[in-house]
Amino acid sequence: MKNSENSHSLSIGDFYGKFGEKLFLECISGKDGFERRIISPSAKKPGLRMIEKRIELESGNIQVLGRTEISYINGFPAKTQKKIISSLLSNDIPCFILSKGARPEESFTEYFEKKRIPLFATTLGTGKFITILNELLAEEFATRITVHGVLLDVHHTGVLILGKSGIGKSECAIDLIIQGSKLIADDVVEIRKIGSQTLVGVGPENIRYLVEVRGIGIVNIKDLFGTTCVMEKREIDMVIELHQWDSETEYDRLGLDTKTYSILDIELPYIVLPVSPGRNMASVIDVAVRNQILKETGKKIEIPSGTRK
Amino acid sequence: MSQKPLVRNFVIRNRLGLHARAAAVLVALTSRFSSSIMIRKDSFEIDGKSILGVLSLAAICGTEVAITIEGEDSELAMEEVSRLIESGFGEGIDPG
Repeated sequence: MKNSENSHSLSIGDFYGKFGEKLFLECISGKDGFERRIISPSAKKPGLRMIEKRIELESGNIQVLGRTEISYINGFPAKTQKKIISSLLSNDIPCFILSKGARPEESFTEYFEKKRIPLFATTLGTGKFITILNELLAEEFATRITVHGVLLDVHHTGVLILGKSGIGKSECAIDLIIQGSKLIADDVVEIRKIGSQTLVGVGPENIRYLVEVRGIGIVNIKDLFGTTCVMEKREIDMVIELHQWDSETEYDRLGLDTKTYSILDIELPYIVLPVSPGRNMASVIDVAVRNQILKETGKKIEIPSGTRK
Repeated sequence: MSQKPLVRNFVIRNRLGLHARAAAVLVALTSRFSSSIMIRKDSFEIDGKSILGVLSLAAICGTEVAITIEGEDSELAMEEVSRLIESGFGEGIDPG
């Protein structure tokens, strides 16, 4: 649980490869500038700043030129247009994107080529485009951490199962999948912090939906059980840690207090479950999740007071 | 767990990199020790006792990895893990 990191930048080439299709992007000009980097995870519009003689834009943000900006530029004679564009391009901007299917003239694109600043066009409307782009960038730039564990969806609850290697996390996961839970990731869970309250877990792409079962080897859950038994990513709602049963340790007997486990400064409900022969961990986890859901509805467990009337 | 964690950097030298069989040999070795063994590539760190973890590194020939071992048998573990990686997992070392 150590290696949290902020990814600091994203090259335009990677950005285009990853999100080009989702954002309906087409590269019009400035392919030589694909090594430029996006530093800030929010897209901006120049907007009113366009009217300044020297247009100053924050560096590192993607700039979106919508209908307003384009019709403003088009309202000037060719010579002034040139000035505006070169003033725009004097900023350190990773790339410009024309929204709503706007198509620039030849002379327009030349500057981008010369300055080696990529220019894209999207068919999406400006508002929708910026919303989707900001969501994608927020996820890409999110603080992240890699955890050794299993992430499952049990009763529509994201359950992260932790425990030492060999304790039986994967076997337990298979039991739960057979009972109708969905697998997100086994052994390696990449967790991203989205906003201030949400943790989202995914599995690394090259081992997605694979589970290792000692004695059988590596199996593919999606192929074995079908597409309804897996999920690409899922919000994490609680943490369950499997411990080797130790007679010295005192385990919770009442379940009255809720412990929490901190991941990237977010506190999640946390339960430690002791593992011992004959204890069916899948059933115990199933009950733990149901109980957690019950607690969240505000229902308290009524425990007798110990005195009889 | 009083000992300090040992950290060493390695370059994967066998031609096929940390492919399935090499990964299996590595985790078979690491699983013998009680110490925790973590393998890091860039900022991505995984449990060295997990075969899926090792495979998710996608370490090819020439990849640099850092191994951190912490626990009672860390010295012996580091020695044997070093020997295995440096021998190219028994597959020989790619001279190029």
